[in-house]
Amino acid sequence: MTALLALSLLAAACSSDKKTTTSSSSSGQGNSSGGGALATTAGFDGTTIKLGVITPQTGPVKLIGDPLTNGNRVWFDYVNKELGGIAGKYKVELEVVDSAYDATKGVQQYNAIKGDVVMFAQILGTPVVNAVLSQLKRDGLAGQPATLDSLWVREPNLVPIGTPYQIQAINSMSWYLGEPGNKDKKVCTAIQDDPYGKAGQSGIDFAAKEMGFTVATTAKFGATDTSFTAQVSQLKTAGCEVIFLVATPTTTGGLLGAAAAGGYAPQWIGQSPTFIGILTKSPLVDYLEKNYVVASEGVTWGDESVPGMKDLVARQKKYAADQAPDYYFVFGYNEARAVTQVLEKAVALGDLSHDGILKAITSLDKLTFDGLTGDYGYGPVTDRNPPRVNTIFKVDRNAPGGLAVLKAGIESDAAKKFTFAG
Amino acid sequence: MTTATPAQEGAGGIGSRTGIPTSSNRRRRLGRSSRNRAMVVRYQDDLRIFPSLPARVGLAALALFWAFGSQGLSSFWLNALTYAAIAAIAAIGLNLLTGYTGQVSLGHAFFLAVGAYATAHFGAEVGWSIFLWLPVAGVIGGVVGAIIGPFALRLRGNYLVIVTLGMLFLGEHIFKNWTDVTGGGNGISVAGALPTLDTSKFDFLGQRWDRNQGWFWLSWALVAVAALLAKNIVRTRPGRAMQAIRDRDLAAEVIGVSLTRYKIAAFAVSSAFAAVAGALYGSFQGFVQPSDFGLVLSIQYVAMIVIGGVGTIFGGILGAVVVGTLPFVIQELSSNYDLPLVSGDKGGLNGYIEIASLNKMLYGLLIVLFLIFEPHGLAAVWFRVKAWFRTWPFSY
Amino acid sequence: MTQFLQLLFGGLALGAKYSLIVLGFVVIYKATGVINFAQGGLLLLGAYLAYNASQTWGLPFALAVLVAMAGGALVGLVVEFLILRRMVGQPTFAVIMITIGLLYVIEEVATSIWGAGNLNLGDPWGLQSVDAGGVVIQVKDLWTIGLAAAVLLAFFALFRYSRVGVAMRATALDPEAALAQGISARRIFALSWAIAGAVAALAGVTAASGSAQLQPTLSILALAAFPAMILGGLDSPGGAVIGGLLIGVAQTMAAGYQVNVLDRLPWLGDGFDTVLPYVVMVLILLVRPYGLFGSKEVRRV
Repeated sequence: MTALLALSLLAAACSSDKKTTTSSSSSGQGNSSGGGALATTAGFDGTTIKLGVITPQTGPVKLIGDPLTNGNRVWFDYVNKELGGIAGKYKVELEVVDSAYDATKGVQQYNAIKGDVVMFAQILGTPVVNAVLSQLKRDGLAGQPATLDSLWVREPNLVPIGTPYQIQAINSMSWYLGEPGNKDKKVCTAIQDDPYGKAGQSGIDFAAKEMGFTVATTAKFGATDTSFTAQVSQLKTAGCEVIFLVATPTTTGGLLGAAAAGGYAPQWIGQSPTFIGILTKSPLVDYLEKNYVVASEGVTWGDESVPGMKDLVARQKKYAADQAPDYYFVFGYNEARAVTQVLEKAVALGDLSHDGILKAITSLDKLTFDGLTGDYGYGPVTDRNPPRVNTIFKVDRNAPGGLAVLKAGIESDAAKKFTFAG
Repeated sequence: MTTATPAQEGAGGIGSRTGIPTSSNRRRRLGRSSRNRAMVVRYQDDLRIFPSLPARVGLAALALFWAFGSQGLSSFWLNALTYAAIAAIAAIGLNLLTGYTGQVSLGHAFFLAVGAYATAHFGAEVGWSIFLWLPVAGVIGGVVGAIIGPFALRLRGNYLVIVTLGMLFLGEHIFKNWTDVTGGGNGISVAGALPTLDTSKFDFLGQRWDRNQGWFWLSWALVAVAALLAKNIVRTRPGRAMQAIRDRDLAAEVIGVSLTRYKIAAFAVSSAFAAVAGALYGSFQGFVQPSDFGLVLSIQYVAMIVIGGVGTIFGGILGAVVVGTLPFVIQELSSNYDLPLVSGDKGGLNGYIEIASLNKMLYGLLIVLFLIFEPHGLAAVWFRVKAWFRTWPFSY
Repeated sequence: MTQFLQLLFGGLALGAKYSLIVLGFVVIYKATGVINFAQGGLLLLGAYLAYNASQTWGLPFALAVLVAMAGGALVGLVVEFLILRRMVGQPTFAVIMITIGLLYVIEEVATSIWGAGNLNLGDPWGLQSVDAGGVVIQVKDLWTIGLAAAVLLAFFALFRYSRVGVAMRATALDPEAALAQGISARRIFALSWAIAGAVAALAGVTAASGSAQLQPTLSILALAAFPAMILGGLDSPGGAVIGGLLIGVAQTMAAGYQVNVLDRLPWLGDGFDTVLPYVVMVLILLVRPYGLFGSKEVRRV
């Protein structure tokens, strides 16, 4: 036996340092140490809470991942430095890993760190969350999806925030077709060929049924496509006058660029992740200002009348001075707030284990964001009720973040009727 | 066929005749033709699997480490080494085709996909046990290989590379659209295929293990099985026929080796190895999607056999460990040290080269450097070191 | 009809892009008998050099393109001198693998220098287009077609009439015999890599200008050009252009009519337009591996 011990010691010496200890107790049940102190558990050593972040740090979607993760950081910096941590005493630490917006890489990274974290504070991208979800369920962990698919609403292992994509789509159609002269416009969709694209499409399909219009054609493209001739030709030939777009910023630039080059100028309505501020620095900006709006939520960056926004800008200046005004930053900031509310609840219930987190999620009443986004009703998973209000933004190269509110507070009847499968 | 042929084992390397007879390979390269191996006097010796005492001792030490020493490894490294083991099985398969038979394929990833999806279906969906789905995945891979082989292997050299590349793209298209089985572009969960292997849930007389320990044991045991199987193929009659084809297909044909038969057989066997690896890859990771099995993966396998050693079983494993663990080593290094010019994972750009970029760059660089300076890979280096010690004090 | 013409023109423009890439493949294959997988990397590098010259150094665009071509040629020369020269006489497999390794290195070096985001090449064509009876024709596409034609003519003249071109053909045909005639195979190899580098840079510029974007994934375009290369024949410049145009038109048509076709033939699957070129390629390889215009391979015993 001693020989074996020597061998394993040798091996331990060659292996990485810190991870050995945490992983050996990674199964989730902590050893209770009495008194008021919380039991240590996977990702929690008694003083520091470790949270996982699976986000694209490389590849085109990095444009979204970077500001979003910055939003996470700024909020937690604020919690750590000004509030003393979660419940005033437990500091938060982020373990950030790169998914490159690829489902498989996301799963690999998830597998690599799942034993070291209390929960995931960010899992970015519908395809990635879709892939990680079955593992989350099997392992009994919780995660915050940085994607607005309505599929997440009824998932006990996820902590979604914000108005779902489907509602975004429904609300923007109700807004557009309700504007004078737009009633009989020909509606089309252009979607990314993956779960993210399907989310927007299903919203439009619902709206079509409720409001009585038909979708003339649907153009599809891959997340990394660079040539869009075929799609533009398809949309143009079908005579599309308003096109609902589900894409990421890089493909938005490519597709709308191809349309602009082809002299084709319908009304584009983009799902919230289609836009990024730097698009206003491209030669496409004239076309965007004229032909493209973004369906999103919340308020213009820097709108001091909203208390949440005032704090956000102040903290951004304090903890991430380099960060340009950016709506993904706001989202990341909000998801960190949501996760904080979950953690506070779990601490109050006295259990930071993976099971404890899941219990805390169902015991929450609602998640609130000081007006940055709508309140999200929580409780048992069947009772969750997401906000159903959207804002339409127009591109404005002079506005901070490149967007200005065109119409706020859209909450259509059709959107209210939408039910979330579960 | 004389007894000289099997002695090509060791650093024999890929024949210089794999390609079409164009200007560039008409001249044979001189120099470095030494076998880096002790002279074999008796035919029986050549057939032995583990020729020398040191080899046996080394293997015993590895087996001991596998059984006991590995329990001291962290979750992170068990995870990395499991991926490496799975890669090793596929690399052994590719080496049979490319290293021993001289047929270059960029379509290896396609057969991994076949195995992974077979497991997603029979293992996760239908609910068979691993004793069923693993062999079935291998058989399906072998059959698909035997069906495609006759078409692909009519071509040689450049053209074979291109047609296997085409196969890769066609395969990806099929996997994207065959939604019932593959889940389409969204991918599919394979987590249900082997749910019981989470060793952190085991408790044996108070002994506890890491969650990846079971996978480490399973995958490396299968590497041993695969290596033995491959070794038995190459040291017997079919293996000699394959190597004859590699070294000079015309000459092999003249002395009565059926080119078609052995090429297709090699293709099918190599595909079966890949499919088994794919099955393990899917069930270990718990999720696969069509884009996992693209050109990048195929190139990684070719890189493994080039770096490890073309035409040796041992080299394939060595290459798989190096290439397979490289990303993990880099990740570990960059999270503990500030590598020059490399952006760390601490967020924001504090360097220039992203870690994912660095991985790919190193694959490329290693391929180029090995092919220029050590075309027979790490295995040849190893054999040279061994020869140096064996002949000491007369080494030079 | 308008849609048909629109797609036809779009296909020709795409085909011209493919042709430029394939011409780079052909020049190296003719001289060395190897398919250069690194062509995509040279293309990428050329496009980024053009970006640097026009946007960072502020050169006029035409001059920037010339600078990029010169830079591409130089990179080709360096790669040949440092790496490929050592591989002369090595198995085809090894040389192909070297070019694949190089592709990775070049791609990632480019990503590290210029980043993964989109860049604007600063070309004068931008989003300009002309309307020809309902068919919208991008100015940039016209230029691409013109440039491909010009390069083809230059190749034709080079191989047919110039001493160097004849020497290249001789080396490709029989290096020993060419050597005996006093032709330096080394110089020929170097020259073919330089030409390939310059043509790749030009192809990169046409691929990244106009409404397209400059980003590291651009190098995938070279893989997409393989079918055109196989169709036309590995060693025929004329075949390269015809193969490129055929594949370009077929792909664009398939994409444009995808919806109609899928109504009737749903088993083709979404996005079959992207694999159509590879289907054509595999079929060609099985029936006529040397392509439409390539020379038949002869096996000597």
